[in-house]
Amino acid sequence: MTDSSELPALPDSGPRAVRPGRRPVIAGLGMTELGKVYGRTPAQFAGEAVRLAVADAGVTMADVDGLLTSSGVTGGVSVDLQRELGLTDLRLLTHMQAYGSTAGSMLAYASLAVQSGLASVVACVFADSPLRPERGSGAIYGTRHAGSGWWGLLGASGVVGANPMYALAARRHMERYGTTSEQLGHIAVAQRAWAALNPAAQMREPITLADHQASRWIAEPFHLLDCCLVSNGGIAVLVTSAERAAAMAQPPVPVLGWAQCHPGRYLRRNPDFGLVSGAAIAGQAALAMAGVGLADVDVAELYDCYTFTVLITLEDYGFCPKGEGGPFVASGVLGPGGKLMLNTGGGQLSGYYMWGMTPLSEAIIQARGHGGDRQAAAHDIILVSGNGGVLDHHATLVLGGQAAGQ
Amino acid sequence: MTVGPVDRDQATAEFFDAAARGQFLLRRCPRGHHSEPAAAQCTACASTELAWVPAAGGASLVSWAVAWSKPGHGSDQAATVLVIAEFDEGPWWWSCLDGADPARLAVGTRLKVAFRNGGGEAVPVFELAG
Repeated sequence: MTDSSELPALPDSGPRAVRPGRRPVIAGLGMTELGKVYGRTPAQFAGEAVRLAVADAGVTMADVDGLLTSSGVTGGVSVDLQRELGLTDLRLLTHMQAYGSTAGSMLAYASLAVQSGLASVVACVFADSPLRPERGSGAIYGTRHAGSGWWGLLGASGVVGANPMYALAARRHMERYGTTSEQLGHIAVAQRAWAALNPAAQMREPITLADHQASRWIAEPFHLLDCCLVSNGGIAVLVTSAERAAAMAQPPVPVLGWAQCHPGRYLRRNPDFGLVSGAAIAGQAALAMAGVGLADVDVAELYDCYTFTVLITLEDYGFCPKGEGGPFVASGVLGPGGKLMLNTGGGQLSGYYMWGMTPLSEAIIQARGHGGDRQAAAHDIILVSGNGGVLDHHATLVLGGQAAGQ
Repeated sequence: MTVGPVDRDQATAEFFDAAARGQFLLRRCPRGHHSEPAAAQCTACASTELAWVPAAGGASLVSWAVAWSKPGHGSDQAATVLVIAEFDEGPWWWSCLDGADPARLAVGTRLKVAFRNGGGEAVPVFELAG
C-alpha cells in the first residue's frame, strides 16, 4: 500500500491553473419544448437543441468546432448529428454514454478540450423521445429484459427496470438508518413547490405530504410521487473559453470543477449498496478542483430520478452526516424560502426528465440569474450532480456565477 | 408466484442445467473465494480460473422491495416481493421471495433458494427458511 501523503503533490490541473483566457465557461443553453411533445425523433430534438444553444450564445453554427452527443433510453442520437447540423471540420466529435452521469461528464470533457486548445466552441447535447401518446411512462423503463441469459433471468425473476432496484437501495438505507417514506416525501413536496415557479416544469400543481403518502405504490418503499417523470425533448449546452465568451450574448458561467466516480459492483455483493454512492468521492474531488468548500455552495442541483437519490447524494456530498439525510430533509431546509436552495426548477420529479441535463440546465439558469420567480438570491457557486445506473455512475460539476468569472 | 420465461445462452448453460436439478451454482476460484454466477472473474482476487460449485442453499435477507403492477382493467393491483439475498457463501442474488408477508421481513431474515418454472429454464427464487 502506498500512503498518498508520501507522494509529491501534483500541480493543480483544474481550470484555476489554466491561462485565464482559456478557462472553460458555459456560453449557451438550448432547451426544446419538453414533456409530452410527440411526433419527433431524438435526432430532431437534438438538432433543435444545438441550434437553440448556438442562438442563445449569439454565435453561428460555423463557430462550433466540437460536438459531444448522448442519447437516452430510445437511442437515436449519434455522431451522425454532425451531418444533420451541417457542421464541417470539427476538431472534436464523439458519442458518450454513462447513463445519467453523461451530461456532467460531457461538460468535463468539453471543458478539458477548451482549456487544452483541442477545440474552442463545443456543443454537448442530450435528447430522448420515449413517450408515446398511447403508452404510459412506467412501460418505458419497466420493460422486461429480452428472455435469455443472465439479463433474461433477472427479468424472469421479476426484477424489472429501475424502480425495484432503487427501491431495494432505499429500503436498505431505511433499515440501516431509520429513514422513512415521510422523510422522502418532504423532497417531493419541496420540489413541486419549486416547479410551481418554473414555467418549463411539467407538474406544477402543489402537493402535500398526505398526497405523497396517498399516491399509489410503484415499488415499496416508493410511492408514485417518489419517482421522476418521463419526458420527450432535447437540451444542449455550449462550452467555450472565457476569452471567446466575452464577445458572446450571455453572461458566461465558469466551469470551476468536475469529477466522476463509478463505484462498480453492479449486481455483485456490495456493502455500500444503498448506503454510499459515487457522490462521496466525486463531490469532494470536484469541490477541491474548484477550490471551494461545501459552505461556499449557494445552490445545489442534484439528480433526482427518485427522492431517495437526492437524499443519499446530500449525505455523500456532506450536507449532513451519513445516515441523517432523513431528519435533514424533514427539518424545513427545503423548498422556496428554505435555507438550502435545492433543485430549484422542480428537478426530474416535477420539472422535466432529461437525464443529467435536468440539473445542469437549471444550474445554468440560476448561475446567470435568469431564474425569474425562483431565482436564488446568492448564486456564485452552484453544485451539480449526475447519477446513472443504480447509483453506479456519478458526475459532479461546480459552476460559478458572475462573481466567480472575474 | 409467477416467474417469467427465460432461455439459456452459452454463458448460462451450466447454470440452468444445475437449476433443473434444484441446485444454485456459484463460481469459485482456486483460492476458495465465491463469486456471483455471472462473474467473469473472481470478485475478490480477479482470478479467471473459476469452477462451478453448488451453493448450500441458505441465504440471508439484505434488502427487499414490493413491486406493484399498474392498476387497471378492473383487477386489483398485484404485488411481488423482490429481494437481495446473501448466500451463506457470500455472493448476492436478486430475485423474488415466495410466500412471505413483507411486513414481517427484517435484514438478516433467513431464506433458502427454491426453483420455479415460467415456461423456459428453471428460475431461482427464495422462500423463508424453516
